[in-house]
Amino acid sequence: MSVLEMSGGAVRLGGRTVWRDANFRLESGTITAVLGPNGSGKSTLLRATLGLVPLSEGTLRVFGEEPRRGSRDVGYMAQSRVADSMSSLTGRDYVGLGFDGPRFGWGRDRTKATVVREVLRLTGTTHFADRPISSLSGGQRQRIALAHATVFQPGLLLLDEPLAALDMGAQAEIVDLVNLISDRTGAAVVVVAHDLNPLAPIVDHVLWIARGQVRSGSVEDVVNEATLSDLYGHPIEIVMTARGRRVIVGLEEELAHPHPHGSDHSHDHDHEHDHEYGHGHGHGHESDDEAHRGETPRADR
Amino acid sequence: MTLSQLLSTAFVQHAFYAVTAVALAAGAVGYFVVLRSQSFAAHAIGHVGFAGAAGAVWLGVSPIFGLLVFCLGAGLLIGWGGAALDESDTVVGVTLTAALGLGVLFISLYSGYANATYSILFGQILGVTSGDVATVTILSVSVLVVLSLVYRPLLFVSVDAQGAEARGLSIRGMSLLFMGLLALTTVVAIQIVGVLLVFALLVAPAAAAESTTSRPLHAAALSMGVALFSAWLGLFLGVWIGGPVSFWITALAATSYLVARTLARSARGRPARRPA
Repeated sequence: MSVLEMSGGAVRLGGRTVWRDANFRLESGTITAVLGPNGSGKSTLLRATLGLVPLSEGTLRVFGEEPRRGSRDVGYMAQSRVADSMSSLTGRDYVGLGFDGPRFGWGRDRTKATVVREVLRLTGTTHFADRPISSLSGGQRQRIALAHATVFQPGLLLLDEPLAALDMGAQAEIVDLVNLISDRTGAAVVVVAHDLNPLAPIVDHVLWIARGQVRSGSVEDVVNEATLSDLYGHPIEIVMTARGRRVIVGLEEELAHPHPHGSDHSHDHDHEHDHEYGHGHGHGHESDDEAHRGETPRADR
Repeated sequence: MTLSQLLSTAFVQHAFYAVTAVALAAGAVGYFVVLRSQSFAAHAIGHVGFAGAAGAVWLGVSPIFGLLVFCLGAGLLIGWGGAALDESDTVVGVTLTAALGLGVLFISLYSGYANATYSILFGQILGVTSGDVATVTILSVSVLVVLSLVYRPLLFVSVDAQGAEARGLSIRGMSLLFMGLLALTTVVAIQIVGVLLVFALLVAPAAAAESTTSRPLHAAALSMGVALFSAWLGLFLGVWIGGPVSFWITALAATSYLVARTLARSARGRPARRPA
């Protein structure tokens, strides 16, 4: 049984098709990158898997069943917002909310402390878990968020832009940690990202969403000139740098005048991406990386 | 009358029980108000209460009924419309102004004793009857019991709405629930400090606590403690020195906040932590 299986899947939001004809199957222990322009419905794919957004067509099976909200076997890390409110907690408290946050009532679960301690050890967060989240660096915050999502050692881990707003060193740390979690727990991991490069070393599978379509396959199957040119409907070039980074050329126009088809702007989940349009850089484009570098310093680092 | 005789009179005793109940509820609920950055909503619900109380006075019924109807109504409206925390300001503002307009209308219709308006606005702690004490205590205890039952989910949804939603919690449901609790707390707090000053008891102690500790339970407990301290000492000073009790309570709560902020700032000013 596959962890996640979609056949002929489509989602409509606000009367518009976000994407359709999604066909893929993800197995235990694999890591999948979900790539594509802003507003193409990457987050929507995660929300469908969580049972928060229904499919309008096709079927989606999570561990062989209909997706349902609140499953302990699906870990989810929302797109990072350094919310002021979250800053006023310690890392351990936030991870603890992953354990019993959804539960009403007075009862306390005695296993909580042990389970939390274990996941803190797994994610290498023990030594800063008792500090307020507001005092942590961006990378440390993401590690805590990963610990929170992994607390039940779920079979499926959905990560929405875990690398956004991190410097390169922190990105590499998080990529290593995601790989480690997948290895140790056997989880299938789905990572939404806007740049394949930092993830490329660990990715088994790519889902590329653009213009309402979803392409699925290995990195080589999907991130090649033929597939992307077909997907976007105009020639796309992929240039490999000396250090093996893929630079995708030909998306500039797509980003400057985003194709209306398949856009899910009405959906507030994706609105934070919007500013990235302004840069006019391609996804997976190196300069995209550089352009963001200056914007994301952590005051407390 | 000596101070000890004053303190043992019925009206001071009633006031003591009432401020105790209100301070505990306001301190606990206030922690979430500050955590969820909903001070504006708390402020607005208090002012909406003014319209309710004025309407009740005009109709000749006890102000608490008007307060309950209007505060709960406003709380649920804000909770429903502003479930996503970042959209809430507009919903709150519209609710607030509409209700204030109604309040002005009711006041103009009511041609009687202006004292009623004054006590709605500024509180009337020393006029609390034993019946009021019972109402206030029952409402406060109910708020505290419900809050303790929903504490974890409410904390989860307040710090990480999307994560909590993925784990099966309803953002809107929790928002409605919390605004309901906030409305009830506002109703009881208005009995003590009045519409204009309710904000001080709801927000200042919680803000003081929140700037001092990063542990949610500690912060909530500390917030209740600061509220209780302000309420008790304020009542005592009002009886001993004179002056409106609500003035003393709000002054003490605001001072606690200033002190906590100053302490927190000087603590943060210590040599920076080693970068990780």
